[in-house]
Amino acid sequence: MADELIMTAGATESVNLAFNAANGVSLISAIEHDSVINSAKACSEVKLIPPMKNGRIDPNTVKKMLTPDVGFVSVALVNHELGYIQPIEEIAEIVKAERLRRQENGEPLPLIFHTDASQAAALIDVKIKRLGVDLLTLSAAKVYGPKQVGLLWVRPGVTLKANIFGGGQELGLRSGTENVAGVVGFATALELAQKRRSAEVKRLRKLRENLVKDLRQAFPDMLISSDMKKSLVSFLNISFPGVDAERLVFLLESRGVLVATGSACAANSGTRSHVLASVGLSESEIDGSLRLTLGKLNNDENIKRAGEFIIEAVQAEMKRARR
Amino acid sequence: MSKKVFVGMSGGVDSSVAAALLVEQGYDVTGVYMKNWSEDLPGMHCPWAEDVADAKRVAVGLGIDFRVFDFQKEYKQNVVDYMISEYQAGRTPNPDIMCNQEVKFKIFLEASLAAGADYIATGHYARVAHESSSSAKLLRARDDNKDQTYFLYRVTSEALSKTIFPLGDFTKAEVREMAKERGLWTASKKESMGICFVGQVGIREFLSEYVKTAPGNIIDQQTGSVIGKHDGAIFYTLGQRHGLNVGGGLPYYVVGKDMEKNEVYVSRSIDNSNLWRKELRLADIHWINQAPHKDKNVQVRLRHRGALFDAKIDGDIVHLSASERAVAAGQSAVIYDGDECLGGGIVKTD
Repeated sequence: MADELIMTAGATESVNLAFNAANGVSLISAIEHDSVINSAKACSEVKLIPPMKNGRIDPNTVKKMLTPDVGFVSVALVNHELGYIQPIEEIAEIVKAERLRRQENGEPLPLIFHTDASQAAALIDVKIKRLGVDLLTLSAAKVYGPKQVGLLWVRPGVTLKANIFGGGQELGLRSGTENVAGVVGFATALELAQKRRSAEVKRLRKLRENLVKDLRQAFPDMLISSDMKKSLVSFLNISFPGVDAERLVFLLESRGVLVATGSACAANSGTRSHVLASVGLSESEIDGSLRLTLGKLNNDENIKRAGEFIIEAVQAEMKRARR
Repeated sequence: MSKKVFVGMSGGVDSSVAAALLVEQGYDVTGVYMKNWSEDLPGMHCPWAEDVADAKRVAVGLGIDFRVFDFQKEYKQNVVDYMISEYQAGRTPNPDIMCNQEVKFKIFLEASLAAGADYIATGHYARVAHESSSSAKLLRARDDNKDQTYFLYRVTSEALSKTIFPLGDFTKAEVREMAKERGLWTASKKESMGICFVGQVGIREFLSEYVKTAPGNIIDQQTGSVIGKHDGAIFYTLGQRHGLNVGGGLPYYVVGKDMEKNEVYVSRSIDNSNLWRKELRLADIHWINQAPHKDKNVQVRLRHRGALFDAKIDGDIVHLSASERAVAAGQSAVIYDGDECLGGGIVKTD
């Protein structure tokens, strides 16, 4: 197994290393993380797979777009804003079939399937065999491990290309002295995640349901962009069209509730979330969007209180906007 | 109904406190970030996104509306292009004065009034005495150390009549204290200096982006001999003594330059006649209300926070009561009558 893992300084570096092996056109979902989109653009010509309204990447669409000039496919296991869990196994089957077709036809262009599973590992069992991918990215920070540690799993037989040169560590693909403390911390974090996974999923599902119920009661028109059945239980993306969500972020931050928004706010240098735009949200829906992430520090009490603060903040902002 | 004020919020501590004070005084306040520049240049990060986030955080904390006015086109045309062309002509302009004249107290005022404001406000250290609905006097700030009227002398009386300076009666230390007491997000933010887009790297790097420069000779004015090389006459200004790359002995001062020949003239003598003036000729004179009578004793300030010199004004000539260190062409001479800033003009070469 050791010769299948390249330890890196985080998911972004893993993704960069993965795309450095790209030949031909890269076919990636339109809702990938910036690290994937920008690596893909830096290394190849890019085609974007449009998502469905709930954030799903439809395997049939992938099949249609997987033309003979595509050499690299990348779809995140869990989308980083909506939390949608993608049908990676089905996409892997399609990629496998295309690879077989090329072999039979003697077409030389290799085809590599990568998934960025950074968002998933804490709450989904990332069984590589089951997923059927060729490359998989993980981040320690996303499983409560140390920051600046990540890995790229490589299926034996897949050829990568180094972009960091030196003493030949990590199979020559990522030179530089090993970050031993970071790697040990990463391993421990993954073990703990594995042990707690099923109980934690149940616990967070309940917290999310309660939070949605409270918010829904206060705001019957609230838009829920996360698919409540198919998204990871730690994600909740909602929107209050007409409200300036960045104001909510600042109001909530001063009360100890840390949330994010996809709005064209200052923090995003004036650009709106490409993920929310891709699933068809309007500008005012994006500008009113809040991304709530639940995790191990949350419990019944603080989620209840966070819900109250969110309701107060949204009501205050709706009142201000009407004035 | 309370009066509506649009306050320019830069994301700094001064304008944050200005906004807070207006809210406390019962005005209906809207915070406005003026987006004048957002470009990064090589080695220069423009912090506009951080600044607008800071300004908005404060506005949200105060419970006031917040808007962004985009003046990038106007700022580029009226401030940056002006600045570059002045430097190219061999003068040393003051872009902050131009920004106040053309942006803050013109298009910001116009846009705010059009959006329903009765007044605009800024975090400047200055005071205004409203005389009528269309005229006002500009007065120096209580804090002599921070007084910013030097940058405001080209604002019109009419614009001032629609302006509030909430910080005019406070010292900088008091303003910091008020920010802390109110728990404002920007309370401990570092002071930004001068024109924001030049940032930390300075005017030299900024100009290099826009103007082609060539090395030229540094010439000793007395002997006429070439004593060193400079990297472009555009970078040198009258009276400057640092950065001349001519070492040894007494310091040299820039006493003149020829843009055509790309030559910089220097002297070791601080008594060099080019460095001293008893008379200044002004161009583009602007009086906030009216010109002082030619026999009236007034005071003139040649640099921000510089000393006030006794003088009389006759047409476009400033008669100083004693010789003073000269300022470069393009800089402003600002005229005061005690606490009142009367206006001023731009110093010409003679």
